[in-house]
Formats: sequence, structure tokens, C-alpha cells
Amino acid sequence: MLTAAFSAETKDICWTRAFCNKLKGDEHVEKGKGRKWFIFFCAAPAIILFTIFMVLPTLNVFRMSLFRRSAYSPNEEFVGFENFAKLFADTNFIRSMQNTILLIVVVTIVTFAFALVFAGILSREKIRGQNFFRVIFYIPNILSVVVISAIFSAIYDTNNGMLNSFLSLFSPEKVAIMWKGESLVMTSLIVAMVWQAIGYYMVMYMASMASVPESLYESASLDGAGRVTQFFKITIPLIWTNIRTTLTFFIISTINMAFLFVKAMTSGGPNGASEVALSYMYKQAYTNSSYGYGMAIGALIFIFSFALSAVVNKVTERDTLEF
Amino acid sequence: MKKVLCTVLALVMALTLLAGCGSAPASGSTSGSTADAAGTTIKVAAIETAYGSEMWQEVAAAFEEQTGIKVELTTDKNLEDVIGPSMKAGDYPDVIHLATGREDALTETFIKDNAILDITDVLSMTVPGEDVKVSDKIAGGFTETSLTNPYNDGKTYLAPMFYSPCGLFYNAGLFEEKGWEVPTTWDEMWALGDKAKAEGISLFTYPTTGYFDAFFYALMYSVGGPEFFEKATHYEEGIWETEEAQKCFDIVAKLAEYTEPTTPAQANDQDFTKNQQLVLDNKALFMPNGTWIVGEMAEAPRADGFEWGMTALPAVEDGGDRYSYTWFEQAWIPAGSANQDAAKQFIAFLYSDTACEIFAKAGAIQPVLNIADKLEGDNQLFYSIYDNGAKAAMGNFAATNPIEGLDVRTVWFDPVNSLVSGTMTEQQWIDGIIAASDQMRAELK
Repeated sequence: MLTAAFSAETKDICWTRAFCNKLKGDEHVEKGKGRKWFIFFCAAPAIILFTIFMVLPTLNVFRMSLFRRSAYSPNEEFVGFENFAKLFADTNFIRSMQNTILLIVVVTIVTFAFALVFAGILSREKIRGQNFFRVIFYIPNILSVVVISAIFSAIYDTNNGMLNSFLSLFSPEKVAIMWKGESLVMTSLIVAMVWQAIGYYMVMYMASMASVPESLYESASLDGAGRVTQFFKITIPLIWTNIRTTLTFFIISTINMAFLFVKAMTSGGPNGASEVALSYMYKQAYTNSSYGYGMAIGALIFIFSFALSAVVNKVTERDTLEF
Repeated sequence: MKKVLCTVLALVMALTLLAGCGSAPASGSTSGSTADAAGTTIKVAAIETAYGSEMWQEVAAAFEEQTGIKVELTTDKNLEDVIGPSMKAGDYPDVIHLATGREDALTETFIKDNAILDITDVLSMTVPGEDVKVSDKIAGGFTETSLTNPYNDGKTYLAPMFYSPCGLFYNAGLFEEKGWEVPTTWDEMWALGDKAKAEGISLFTYPTTGYFDAFFYALMYSVGGPEFFEKATHYEEGIWETEEAQKCFDIVAKLAEYTEPTTPAQANDQDFTKNQQLVLDNKALFMPNGTWIVGEMAEAPRADGFEWGMTALPAVEDGGDRYSYTWFEQAWIPAGSANQDAAKQFIAFLYSDTACEIFAKAGAIQPVLNIADKLEGDNQLFYSIYDNGAKAAMGNFAATNPIEGLDVRTVWFDPVNSLVSGTMTEQQWIDGIIAASDQMRAELK
């Protein structure tokens, strides 16, 4: 996109130059040249910074994944694709990848459904305290993940937690469900992550729903379409572009947020049951002196998230509706 | 002219943005002698634990006064996160006080990388301000373990710091109230477990699986003695299939059955105090821990009549040896330190009477001779454990080259969580250990 804009600019400059040359002579050649330099220097800092802080480190991750090295020493030994070969035989990595995929799928579907329905209700229906709900839903987004983890740790506490205390009201005995135990820890993480994400996506959907013309709904209701039909036949198709964008966001943010939640809530335990790809990468790179191996995991996640986003993008492709 | 000026200004703007990315040139020079060292500044990074950070400030001030070497002190509870980034850029502190066995395993990383300075000569240095050699002050055995000499080459790389006997901690008040005896053999332990169960109390809990290292080391000593420990920690072939090893596994597996069932769900870095609280609330009898627990749980609510008690691991058979693992922290000099001589002086100073007293005030006990006489309160009881018949267990698993996807804690200790939850069998745990041990043997340093 940048190149396209740049070449358009250049064309523009060339045209200006030719035109001015004809009209006013050489003085304008200077001006055209000046403009070119101006654009160059305006774009340069951004391009240089982007290259240094994004492109080079990413390339470096791929380079380092081919080496055996640790995080703190400069010594490295080229091992080719050995790190990747080891990855596919590492059951702990495979489990962490399974957990990551589980989170991406479940968190995306549940958050998407809730966010869309809540956005639909809050923007189309007239309910009391609309703004209040908007704020309430958005609050988890303002809180840091550490705070959210602390809140959920208090909720999930086996002995004195809110959830078990609440369930105990309906049971003759004291309920002692281990929400952060091996069998339930992933479910507990999913609930916390969904709770955290709903508000953000809801606001995004509400913003695009606001731009759908009211007249469409009016004519639909004259034609006898009910609220649900309107939601599926008008709202969703008209905000489809927005939905597609958020699906990519879901993939990227779930991969990233899962690391933070795991780090702050479970440390990957018990016995690796809640380890996700990024937390496993961190563990290998920084606590097991296998930086190269960690980078191989990083490279794999990079490719995985790109590929998944591309597939989702392709599958959800529709003709854009004009309105 | 104007254009040239504009170009230059734009270039300067672009360059200043990048200026921050440059790293300081690594200065490899070390100051030659004590006289040169005075006036230099060393960077000391120390982990802040239950002992607090004031003691480090006081020791640094005392060192400055004694030697004239300035100390730039960094203390933090998550020291790895504070000093890690600059070390990745090649800027190392001169002295780091950080124990092995932490979640981030920074010290282990440096050991695996051979990036720690040999400090054998510090042992023959004179303690600043005194006329005694460092080696004459440090108590016997502390500089001969794999924790201080990780490569088994007769050289010392890590200085032993604050030691703490580890054992099983319990509520002595509860034992008195119920008229129970503290078990001296594992058979008595199981009998007590059944008795406690009848009263709704679990026999055992643990803060996190990380606490099993000290427990397992002492267990190996008590089952097979120092010889078995040595072989096992060096991953000798077939060692995990021996009768002694089987005995260790059986004890841990049986203990898992007696463990408070909610323990694994709280055995993480965020919730581990909830497991410790189980002992204070009389919901579990024993937990493996170190003497720092008293300070760590000082503010926690507790059952009436609660009183800390500590015992060595029970013996395998009547009259057998009982062991208490001596856990100690380490101070070391990164090989990339710029002021190595001054750093060595600082380490020597840590064993001076002045420093030992400052540390002891905060509850941190240096491994120097005759320190036990100066202790007060709970510490007097804890540190006298070795006078009451328990033997000291020291050492850990031998250092290996980094092995991708494999480390001691994940294979040996983390599965205890699964043993307690019943999602893994004892045999699966043992099979994992045997496979890992084979890989580690091949990568021994």
C-alpha cells in the first residue's frame, strides 16, 4: 500500500514537473525536486523505524531459530532445522499448541457470539440504562490482565472462592471444585478471557452497526421481517467487513492474551496442563537456556497465526455490500 | 544553503531517534589491585526475598566505608526481570545474589552457559577489615557441593549465602493438643496420616512442586545415603531402576495419596501461600519448606495455639538416618563483569562479622562458623536441627548442557501435581524420569 501511494505521488510529481516546465521554466524543476526530497524525509523515519523495530527483529527470530544458543551468551552454533525437528517430537510443545488452538477456537466463537448479540441489542433495542451497560461491558478492557487474573483467582479459589461459596448454597455439603485443577484449568482460563474480550469487540460491532441506515430496518419491518430476521439479513451482512477484520484480531489477540493470563494465573500448571504456545516458548527461551529452540517456537507461531488469519480471511470473503 | 540545512536537520532528527538503540561498548578491563579498586563503582544486584532489602543497603554502606569502593545496588523481588534486559544487551552487574531453583532459572542459565567467573581465589582472600581468610570463615562442606562447584572440576564458581535447613513444617501446638507424636519413620507417618484423616485433617501439602527438590534430595539421602545421591544426581545408568530409587518413588506416590486434595490447584506462583495457609488453619499437618516460612507467613491468620515446628524427613526404617536438606542461596560474578577484582572483594566482605550481623538481624544466616550461637527465637530451634540427630543433605542435580524441551523440575517434580490429582500413575512418572535421565547423562558437563 505504501509503495502504491508512493508511486502515485511520484507520478503526480512527474506530471507537475512536466506541466510547470512548459509554463514557467526551470524554477519549477527545483520545486518539484524539493517536494520529492520532502516526501522522502517525511517517510524515512517511519520506514527506518519500522524496519529496525519490526522487520529486522522478525527476520532475526527466523535466523536464531536455526541456531543453538542461550539468551544471555553470544555463543551460537548453527544447527539447521534441528530445533524444528525436535519441536515435533516434544509432547509438551504439542500439548501447549493444542491448548492454544483450543483457546483460539473457543474464545473466538463464544466472544464473537456474545459480543455480536449484545451489540445488536444495545444498538437496536431501546432498553433502560443503555449507556450504563456499554460502560460495564467495556470495563474489563481498561483493567490490566494482572488485575483480571487476581479477580478470577479470588473467584476460583477452591476453599474460600466466590464460585464455590455460591455453589455451596445449593448443596448440602461444602462444594470444593478445583477450578484451577488439571481438568478444569483450561475452562477457567476461557471464561476469564471471554469476560475480558467481550466489551472490546462489542464496541467495535456497535460502531459499525450505527452506520447501517435506519431506513433499511423500517422497510424491512414494513415487509414483515421480525427483529431476528433483521439481525441476520440486514445487520450481519452490512457489518461483514468489520466482522472479518475482528476475526483476525481474535486470532492474534487470543495468542497474545493467553500468554499473559497463563503467566498471571496458573504459571502453566498444574503439571503443564495450562501451558500455551507462547508461555512454553518463554519457558524454553529464558528458563531452560534454549533460546534457539524458543525462537523456533516463535517462528512457528508466527507462521501459524499468519496462515490461520489468511485462511479465515479467504473463507469469509464476500462481495462488499454498498449502502 | 537553506536546503542543505534542511537536509542536515532532517538527518539529525532521524539519527537521534536511533541513538537510543546503540549499546555501550563492553569494557573488559578489570582494575588491577585493591588500591586501584578504591574509587571504582560496582553494580550489585540482589534478589529481595522474605528477608527484605534493607539489609543489603546496610551491607553495601558498610562495604563502601570499609573499602572505598562505591556500590550501586539493585534489589527487586523479580530481579530477573529487572537485570535481564540489560544483560541481554551485554551490560552485566558485577555481583549477582540469586539462588538456583527459581522459576526463571537465571543462575542455572549462566551455569549452563559457562558464564560465571571462577572465584576459587576469593576463598584464599582476606576478609576486608579482618585478618582472617574467607575459607576459614565459611563452615565446612559449603564450598564443596555441586551448588558451588557446578562443573565438578575442583573450582568454586558460586559463593554460598544464607543457609536454611529445610524440612517438614507443622503446627507444634496441634500435635500437643491432640497428643500426637511427630513421626520418626515413614511407617509412623502413614499411621499418623490415617489418624488425622479420621479427624478431617490431611497429612500433607506442599506450596508448589518446586519445593520438592529439597524434599526429594533429602529423601534420596535417607533412602540410599550419600553414595546413592551422588549416582542419582549424576544420572548414572540404571540408577532409577534400583531398589533405592523405587523406594523413593513409592514414598512420594504414597504421600500423594495423603496430600490435601486441593493442593495442586493452588500449587502455582500466585496461590502457593494458600497451600501454606492449610497448615496454619490445621487443614494439613506437614509441608516441606524452609526457615523463611516464618517471616513469609508472619501476617497470616492462624489457628488458636499455633506454634511453628520443624522436623527432618522421617527415616525409612527404625533407627535409620534422618536428613534435613540444607538449602542455601548463591552469590556469583558474571564472567562479563567489568570490575571483577572489586566484585571479588565484595563477595569476601559478605563473610565479615559486620555483614553477617547485619544479615542475621534480618533473619538471613550466613554459612559461617559459630553463627548458631547468635540466633534467637524460632531460628534457634530450626538451626539446631542438626544438633538433634538429623544429618545435613547438600547438593543438587549435576549441571548439563541445555537440552531443548527438558529440565529437571518438569520431569522430576511437576508430575507430583498429577500424582495427587490421580491423572498420572507412579509408573508413568518413573518412565518419564528414566527417559529424561538417559538424555541428561549424554549432556553432562
